[in-house]
Amino acid sequence: MDQKHEDRREENPEPLLKKLLAREPSPPAEDAEAGPEEAAGQPGAEARKAATPGRELYSNVRFLATMMATLILVFTFVARIVVISGPSMEDTLHGRDVVLVWTLGYTPKQGDVVVVTQKSFQEDSIIKRVIATGGQTVDIDYDTGTVYVDGEALEENYIKERMLLPGYGEGLNHVTVPEGCCFVMGDNRNNSADSRHPNIGIIDDRCVIGRSMCVLFPVGHIKGL
Amino acid sequence: MKINAFLSRFPRRTSWLACALGGAVLASLLRVLQRATAVEGPLDLVVPFAPATVALVCALAIIGAALLILAVTQPINKRPWAKGQAHRWDLVFLDRKDKLYPTLLIAAGFLALAAAPVLFVKGAGQLKLWLDLVGLSSRPSDNGLLALLTAAAALLAFFGLQQMARESFRPGQRGHGGFSASLPAVTGCLWLMEAFRAHASDPVLWDYAPQLLAITVGMLFYLDCAGMTTGAARPRRLLWLAGATIVLSALSAIGCREISDLLLLGTQTLTAAAALWRLPPNLEDPPVVGEPYEPMQEPLQEEESTHE
Repeated sequence: MDQKHEDRREENPEPLLKKLLAREPSPPAEDAEAGPEEAAGQPGAEARKAATPGRELYSNVRFLATMMATLILVFTFVARIVVISGPSMEDTLHGRDVVLVWTLGYTPKQGDVVVVTQKSFQEDSIIKRVIATGGQTVDIDYDTGTVYVDGEALEENYIKERMLLPGYGEGLNHVTVPEGCCFVMGDNRNNSADSRHPNIGIIDDRCVIGRSMCVLFPVGHIKGL
Repeated sequence: MKINAFLSRFPRRTSWLACALGGAVLASLLRVLQRATAVEGPLDLVVPFAPATVALVCALAIIGAALLILAVTQPINKRPWAKGQAHRWDLVFLDRKDKLYPTLLIAAGFLALAAAPVLFVKGAGQLKLWLDLVGLSSRPSDNGLLALLTAAAALLAFFGLQQMARESFRPGQRGHGGFSASLPAVTGCLWLMEAFRAHASDPVLWDYAPQLLAITVGMLFYLDCAGMTTGAARPRRLLWLAGATIVLSALSAIGCREISDLLLLGTQTLTAAAALWRLPPNLEDPPVVGEPYEPMQEPLQEEESTHE
């Protein structure tokens, strides 16, 4: 049997997955500049190999790159960090608040603060509160500043001030939300472009990026949502 | 092992390239089918559990498993390759007669070079708009700096890939090739951040998740190339990452609207294809540099006496 076949035979007994993940075992003479005693497998060879600056630098760079890729993949598939801009969710959220948003397997529920994207309005995402979900009916009474969902008035202790008629008119103020969609509004009702706005309207659930879990920064604003 | 016996009928290089390129074509076709039949509305929102989407996910899993089988069954000859230079993994890229490998790397380098001005124009435009709208609520959240940094890194990738092509002709000093191989990885890092930033408000995961995965595996592939020269060789993982880079790059190229992204995807696809072309035969039958290796005659050891 020739050398190549011998090598193949030696490889077979190792568990396959372990073989893929494990670092290839290096022979004693790993370093090209190694002396003859290293080539012969003296104990100092492994220690010197580990201390090679190039190898150490490579390990550090690889660790940093892997960590960065892992974080980006986590912040893509599992959760996101969002920085608030604008006053539409005051007093619940303020401009420059940093919010943790859970995205993995989320379906909108009434009362949740969610991040949505509606490109008919703007490219960047917006953050609002879910008022009603699929199958529910929303009625907005601007005279009393009350929102009714399925005929029941919502107790909204989170809004900033009494709701007035918006500048663009009544907008969408009486609607049954289709299945797979939701109706969202900002907590600062008089300074919020939300589902009432003609360019936003009802939001498809698939346009909801995720649910805001908590404020992370600034320290004084840290709270659950 | 039965699978080893089956795979040994075909040249390793053919198996790798067939699996990676065939997988890339299959994934691309299924992605085209998904975009034609499994999306709706102006935003291309994906229809949940549409047959095309399910088929695409299953195909990707199968291709990944096939590449894994090829990787773990890849024969690797671990004999020292030259007298006095034992076990230099970086020499696995060496073959003075083969012209295709350096050609692919040079072409990949020029694709990276072509991406640099595109990224620069894009980043400069974003930065100008961002500066013009200071203080206004309509100011975009992306200031374009990441695109500018990626443009600069694409230039570095060009030089790194040219050097990698050069080193396939001549064996440099051990460890020196790691620097040039890590330059495209730096580009991958910045490009990953730029792509993530650009799609931060995109609710359709299929629009950008394949691209982020492609960039990630491409970056790790370049880092493994660098690892081959720094005594941290993982040749099987490198081969798997090269195959995955080709498949995911082809998948994410479908429907990609940015020219710079297409050029950088082309860069890593060509480099990965070059690695799959060169590495499997060279791992099996390593090139010899300098004096041919002659195994030392080990003295016969006497049987140890048993102590009772």
